[in-house]
Amino acid sequence: MTEKRRLSGQDWACIALMILPLLGAMLMKTLFSPSSEGVDIHGAIIFLQIELPYQPLLITESEINSWAVIIAIVGLCLFLTRNLSVRYPGVRQHIAEWIVEKCEGLVDDSMGAFFRFVTPFICAIMALSAFSSFTAMLGLYAPTSDLNVVAGWALLVAVAITISRASCGPRAYIGTFVDDGPVMALLNIISEFATPVSMAFRHYGNVMSGAVIGVLVTAALTGLTQLLLGWLPGFLGDIPFLRIGLPAMLSIYFDIFSGAIQAYIFAMLTMLYVSGSFPMAVYEKRHPKKAAM
Amino acid sequence: MTINVQTIQALPVISINVWSILISLANLFILYRLVRRFLFKPVKKVLDARKAELEGRYAAAEQAEQDALADKAAWSEKMAGAQAEADGILHRAVSDAKLSSEAIIASAKEQAEGIVASAEEEARLERRKAEAGIRQELVGVSTSLAEKLLGREINASDHQALIDSFIEELGDSSDGSN
Repeated sequence: MTEKRRLSGQDWACIALMILPLLGAMLMKTLFSPSSEGVDIHGAIIFLQIELPYQPLLITESEINSWAVIIAIVGLCLFLTRNLSVRYPGVRQHIAEWIVEKCEGLVDDSMGAFFRFVTPFICAIMALSAFSSFTAMLGLYAPTSDLNVVAGWALLVAVAITISRASCGPRAYIGTFVDDGPVMALLNIISEFATPVSMAFRHYGNVMSGAVIGVLVTAALTGLTQLLLGWLPGFLGDIPFLRIGLPAMLSIYFDIFSGAIQAYIFAMLTMLYVSGSFPMAVYEKRHPKKAAM
Repeated sequence: MTINVQTIQALPVISINVWSILISLANLFILYRLVRRFLFKPVKKVLDARKAELEGRYAAAEQAEQDALADKAAWSEKMAGAQAEADGILHRAVSDAKLSSEAIIASAKEQAEGIVASAEEEARLERRKAEAGIRQELVGVSTSLAEKLLGREINASDHQALIDSFIEELGDSSDGSN
């Protein structure tokens, strides 16, 4: 069987699904960006404000970019999993299988094969976090540098932790806190609330600090260029020559490396907390067959 | 509820908005469902199908190997049987040949013995005949000798007993001397 190399219309639709949302986000950014002078570090641009009780619902760059990333990821999934074949996998299918098997291996290693069903959740966390950070490469506002976004994820992880704790009934749920003694019980209850907060701030702080450093270095280099090369005639004096190079290197570190590392750390912590909070001893007593699986 | 499009405005660097948090939470949950539906489900299906097929192949290969081994065993058994059969045939042929040669030799011996026996018999008869001839001669000789000595004719039939006893003595002395 020879595989058809040409991309079909549906493939192109998937590719469009990957690219167009991000292009749209970039377009919105350029249309709505306030012109700024000098050092200007601010949060996401607010596109729409809907008055709701307690707090106004804000549709900002974070939400728009998050949705663009989600649509792009779904487009990528559709693109990779088109024309799956049992015997003759193509390049795309190899990539898709590699992703699935790597994620399963990661979950198996850090949580055990018993928790394999949470693999899609871990994969979704990693993909959303990493690609959200990567949007900074396109000049977009990275949703991960908005505290609300990562706080939402951390809250969902907290829900997952609670489900894991409560999966063997209320007695086992309380047992996961108090089994290690009264002092540990207090610490466990505090850490239960501290976990989502620390996860959110860790991720937000790392990405945001990268963005802030990028802006500061860029502004500093602009000033330095004006100081050193401002004597050049005409428009040459206005070109910030020193901004060539260094900010790009910083972007490679903060956007790609740090973004990937933070996604990995967030996923690892999720796996650690969810598997650590599961009352395995109680479960093993009740279902010895299933637990041995 | 009022909706108003703001003049361009940005959030401060750090801000907390409950609705944004909830939207983000829902986003992650929706992406989890989508990834599960569009990436994991189809890929796992294919992987499982491949695993099942591979296991089927392995089982078939093992079955074929076992069949081949059984065939081999049967054939080697058959070959061993053939060898034994050939050996048996050879053995039988050899023993048959031995038997027939023995029979031939025995009959040849018998024949030879017969020949020898008949030759001896013949020789004995010859001797007997010769003896009888000699005896007859002796009778004639002794009769004529006696006639010569006595001067008269001896009637052979009258003196038969006498002659016989004489020949008997002669025969005994000749036998004894032999």
